[in-house]
Amino acid sequence: MSGPLIVQSDKTLLLEVDHELAAECRRAIAPFAELERAPEHMHTYRVTPLALWNARAAGHDAEQVVDAFVKYSRYPVPHSLLVDIAETMDRYGRLRLLAHPVHGLVLNALDQAVLEEVVRARKIKPMLGERVEPDTVPVHPSERGNLKQALLKLGWPAEDLAGYVDGEAHPIELAQDGWELRGYQREAAESFDAGGSGVVVLPCGAGKTIVGAAAMALAGATTLILVTNTVSVHQWRSELLRRTSLTEDEIGEYSGTRKEIRPVTIATYQVMAARRKGVHTHLELFEARDWGLVVYDEVHLLPAPIFRMTADLQARRRLGLTATLVREDGREGDVFSLIGPKRYDAPWKEMENQGWIAPADCVEVRVTLTESERLAYATADPGERYRFCASTDAKTEVVRELVRRHEDEQVLVIGSYIDQLDEVGAALDAPVIKGETRVGERERLFDAFRSGELRTLVVSKVANFSIDLPEAAVAIQISGSFGSRQEEAQRLGRVLRPKSDGRAARFYAVVARDTLDQDYAAHRQRFLAEQGYAYRIADADDVVAGREV
Amino acid sequence: MSDDAEPVARRDPERAPTYTSWLRGLSDTELGALFIVRPDLVNPVPAGIAALAARATAKPTVVRALDRLDRFSLQVLEGLLALGDPLFSGPPAGTDRAALAAALDVRGPLLDTTLDRLRTAALVWDDGGTLRPISVLRGILDRPAGLGPPLVALLSVQSLERLNRLAADLGLSAGYADGDPAARIASELTRRSRLDALLAEAGESARPVLDRLVWGPSHGSVTNARREVSLASAASPIDRLLALGLIVATDEHTVALPREVALHLRGGRLFSRTASIPPRLDGPAHDLASAGRAAAGQAFTVVRVVEELLEDWAGNPPGVLRNGGLGVRDLRRAARTLDTDEPTAAVLLEITYAAGLIAADGEVDGEWLPTGEYDIWRAHGPARRWVWLAEAWLRSPRVASLSGQKDARGRARNVLGEGLERRSAPETRLDVLRALARASEATAPTPEAVAEYLAWLRPRRQGTAFADLVRGTLDEAATLGLTGRGVLVPYARALLPERNAGAAAPTGAEGAAAASLLASQLPEPLDHFLLQGDLTAVAPGPLLPPLARELALAADVESTGGATVYRFSAASVRRALDAGRGADELVGLLERHSTTPVPQPLRYLVTDVARRHGRLRVGTASSYLRCDDPAVLDELLSDRRAADLLLFPLAPTVIASRLNRPVLLDRLTELGYHAVPEATDGTMQLNRPETRRAAARASVSELAEPDPPGPELRAAAVRAIRAGDEAATAVRHPIDSPDAEQPRSPVAATTAALAAAAAEGRRVWIGYLDTEGIAGSSIVEPAKVDGGFLTAYDTTRAAVRRFAVHRITGVASLGGEPASS
Repeated sequence: MSGPLIVQSDKTLLLEVDHELAAECRRAIAPFAELERAPEHMHTYRVTPLALWNARAAGHDAEQVVDAFVKYSRYPVPHSLLVDIAETMDRYGRLRLLAHPVHGLVLNALDQAVLEEVVRARKIKPMLGERVEPDTVPVHPSERGNLKQALLKLGWPAEDLAGYVDGEAHPIELAQDGWELRGYQREAAESFDAGGSGVVVLPCGAGKTIVGAAAMALAGATTLILVTNTVSVHQWRSELLRRTSLTEDEIGEYSGTRKEIRPVTIATYQVMAARRKGVHTHLELFEARDWGLVVYDEVHLLPAPIFRMTADLQARRRLGLTATLVREDGREGDVFSLIGPKRYDAPWKEMENQGWIAPADCVEVRVTLTESERLAYATADPGERYRFCASTDAKTEVVRELVRRHEDEQVLVIGSYIDQLDEVGAALDAPVIKGETRVGERERLFDAFRSGELRTLVVSKVANFSIDLPEAAVAIQISGSFGSRQEEAQRLGRVLRPKSDGRAARFYAVVARDTLDQDYAAHRQRFLAEQGYAYRIADADDVVAGREV
Repeated sequence: MSDDAEPVARRDPERAPTYTSWLRGLSDTELGALFIVRPDLVNPVPAGIAALAARATAKPTVVRALDRLDRFSLQVLEGLLALGDPLFSGPPAGTDRAALAAALDVRGPLLDTTLDRLRTAALVWDDGGTLRPISVLRGILDRPAGLGPPLVALLSVQSLERLNRLAADLGLSAGYADGDPAARIASELTRRSRLDALLAEAGESARPVLDRLVWGPSHGSVTNARREVSLASAASPIDRLLALGLIVATDEHTVALPREVALHLRGGRLFSRTASIPPRLDGPAHDLASAGRAAAGQAFTVVRVVEELLEDWAGNPPGVLRNGGLGVRDLRRAARTLDTDEPTAAVLLEITYAAGLIAADGEVDGEWLPTGEYDIWRAHGPARRWVWLAEAWLRSPRVASLSGQKDARGRARNVLGEGLERRSAPETRLDVLRALARASEATAPTPEAVAEYLAWLRPRRQGTAFADLVRGTLDEAATLGLTGRGVLVPYARALLPERNAGAAAPTGAEGAAAASLLASQLPEPLDHFLLQGDLTAVAPGPLLPPLARELALAADVESTGGATVYRFSAASVRRALDAGRGADELVGLLERHSTTPVPQPLRYLVTDVARRHGRLRVGTASSYLRCDDPAVLDELLSDRRAADLLLFPLAPTVIASRLNRPVLLDRLTELGYHAVPEATDGTMQLNRPETRRAAARASVSELAEPDPPGPELRAAAVRAIRAGDEAATAVRHPIDSPDAEQPRSPVAATTAALAAAAAEGRRVWIGYLDTEGIAGSSIVEPAKVDGGFLTAYDTTRAAVRRFAVHRITGVASLGGEPASS
């Protein structure tokens, strides 16, 4: 009665991290449960039909899942839950998509009753031809993706064994000079290659780009890479140049400003999804070459139009890269049926233990508005309220003290309001980089910062998108609300890399008490805590008074 | 009324024994045993042995008793009827054990134990060495062992002409000169040697006809069955069989094979296969420990979700439909709360109802609300709560799976509504569970095996409704956690009462045993939880109820199951403060019960909310706002968004509003100022929502069979019947009027006789008129006579009573106790 795992009725699993069997249990449940939250003591995993089908696709069976429950569960697991899991898992693979020597693409059923059920479904009927055998029915090749999507919605996900086209060959080598593919990165690339299509799940900072490069090397074919934004395009490009044998001429950028099509082409979701007069104008990119591999970066952010286009790409190998399978729009099922099942998932905690990723130490410093400021805040125009509270003068004093405390470390001060940044820059006697700063000046300052000649740098929002932003040991955020929670984590991860001496990076957020600023901070706090980052709150008075925070 | 029961009962050793006299001769223990297996006989208690005999032979109760017999017992009983009722009129003559054993082809003690059971149930009685079935059985089991009527019965309804011709063909005398021709022919045909000869005479060609009738059905269709036939004119095999009396016409189209002929053809065997051995209960074997854990997990889940649902209903009760049930939409909602599908939700709701935890509130627009008993239920630990539910399920005649179906008049049956009762449901549930218990430990009998076994156990109950009930019981047992992976687990076994222990329904002892077995499998309630930086608290098991309530007040429950996850938010902390908790108190609670340090952001959250909580107070006079901090009011007054609040300052610390209080409160909250209402004396008015309860407990239908009486009840029933019997059969010696010199009224004589009886401790029989003027009689032990009243122990009613002396119409001494005058 003392296992580390507690099964909840909503099919979430709670794993007690400090339990002696925790590591063993994590390995046992990882194939069929998605890590949802990882605060300090109890990690939450979720068992969904998709997660179970992912496990099935990876060759696990229901017996294994039930055994893991029985072995590690602290309390008796309700019988109905076990039955439900076994039944759900059993649904995957009853239907298979095969390449038939005579009829081409066919839907084949191991269980004829299931086939009878699905061929009668109104949405599925038009995608199928006339039955050729009692358990086999041809599928219109163009419907391969749509059929998988529709079958998943009916709860009978099909296993796609119909194979892939090879695409136009293009040799790509990894250039391992001065760096080496990490063990888990190699495993991820290889298990993707064995599976043909699917998703690799790695935490932020674990080097997903390198896994992509390794997969491209294994495929040895022309590759289309779809990424979230232009910054990512540049990142991918420089990483590929650094890590592979690819040269500048072989890599094309397909974005709002440039439209190059090369053996390896990097495009943004935005440009692909762009429409003019209701028509996707850049659809031809998919047909422009005989792509051997399509890579989807940050697959959890894949927009709906790309899903539709992907449905037509089912004969090509597809690699999805992401830190999480959880989508804010709930379209996890489309990722499963159109990109493919999960092929690799690294144990987050183990990567942290091995030092590949490091959690940051987060501190929220609260300043109090003066009475006159509160009055002004209350009377402020709703659109200006955030700006007002976020750029209170009280923050300057705090920032000065924080910078003083870390005078031996590289400190970045990040904010979104230019007036405020100028003021802080003046107070710290540090240079400010903002939109109007010229490129040459910017590069000079960045270099000085990297070399350690310059200890403190104040940057505006533009730095968020600047790919060559230097890494720092300490970041102080004084204003700027973020969009989605994932975006925040990525930005944070970009600034804060593990330190060579193993020290945790420090992230300060200075917020104004009892204002919108604090409300936004609460969201950030929850997300960071769930990601396993330590989070504390400190009073500005304590900071200024020099007390330990 | 059966002729087994004597209309006037007298104890007379000279008379031939009767059913009634046999009953009277039973010991108190034997009578008690009868009442265990046939509880309906003492409900109400009959007036005496004669009344008991009459009731025990009434058709409905006998049918009920037969319905409980297994296939073998029924075969034994049919055998007794087949062999022991050759005349088909009057009380069956009976047969002896040896003949029965031979005809059934069973050896060993099995037959005796079965006969004992039939005797215990008073379906069969002993007359010397003869076993006699009660005669009402003849009408109920009209074709025992698939046999047709006896010869006498068949022949006695034939025309005299037919009988004469038959007699002639058999070489017997015709007419009534030598007695009843039917009896004469019958006794001739019963002789084995004669039968063999006649069968030979009928010829080989008649064999197929006989073969079709011999193992039943005993009747066959033939055109012109009442044809004129004689041996001489017989043309077909059927003609010959009719002519020889080997088959007999029963109407124009039907012939029957007489019982004696069929038995002879069967070689004296009653059944081709005697079902003395019940079918095996086979199925896959499972690890008992893991089955037990799965079942206990299910049991724990049921208890938890039921509580969750009723907590939800307390605040947000669903309406009662006009026909008394629960609407489909509310069922769907309940299924969501219970985290299950609708059929399972219906099962759980019906169990909750049967357990008396919910009831329809009796208002015009009724609502389903938890009852006061729910609070008692909730005070128990999870194991006892489960036993409460499981016992209610075992006893409930309501069948949840009938909901959603249409009744005979085409109306849909609703959950918790009418038309879901099935009288046999409790018994069937017990049968199914006992069948599972019969299987060897850790074996999960397949549903098919269980169905087959029950077909043997209750052969008279078969049908689709019964099969559905069996199937449903297996499903419900799994839902409730009585079985895990199909295995009946030890704590559920403990819940089953011993078969003949005197009570078919669980008593406290079984419940306590089951609860303690279950409790050892369930998680212990905890007094601690873990606090985490993402502002959640995880209780890694069930919390002690007071702690769970406090925590649920200060944090929102995010997920439940083996553990409970709570999330703290500004709103939840404010709720705790609204309920009167202080910030220090709250943090103290967390510090005391958390096994991990209280995360610093959580402390900040509590103090932040507390700092702002109650800072603003709103009054009703004409609606005012006041605050000790003038800046706050200034802030509010200058807030543009507050323009529509119609605020105007009264003093630096007071603002009034023209809005009424609720609207003002709402609007302030929208604007982010969390104000609290204020009472007229200036204190804060804090409140939390009241939980609601129904006034009375549910009256779950009492359609169920009466429970077998317990030992005291049985003893009392035996005593009452005996006393009644004594009163009815007592030999009385009326008291002579004393021939004294001075005149004495009869009342004086009565008083004297009663006083004398009281002094000597004798029992007397009295007649009296009650206050309604109705005459009655009792056997009493007089204790004292004074003030015109007799105080006496009334043996008929087993109670001390007072009789007015002037209402006593006569006094008689009892037989063997001569009256003193």
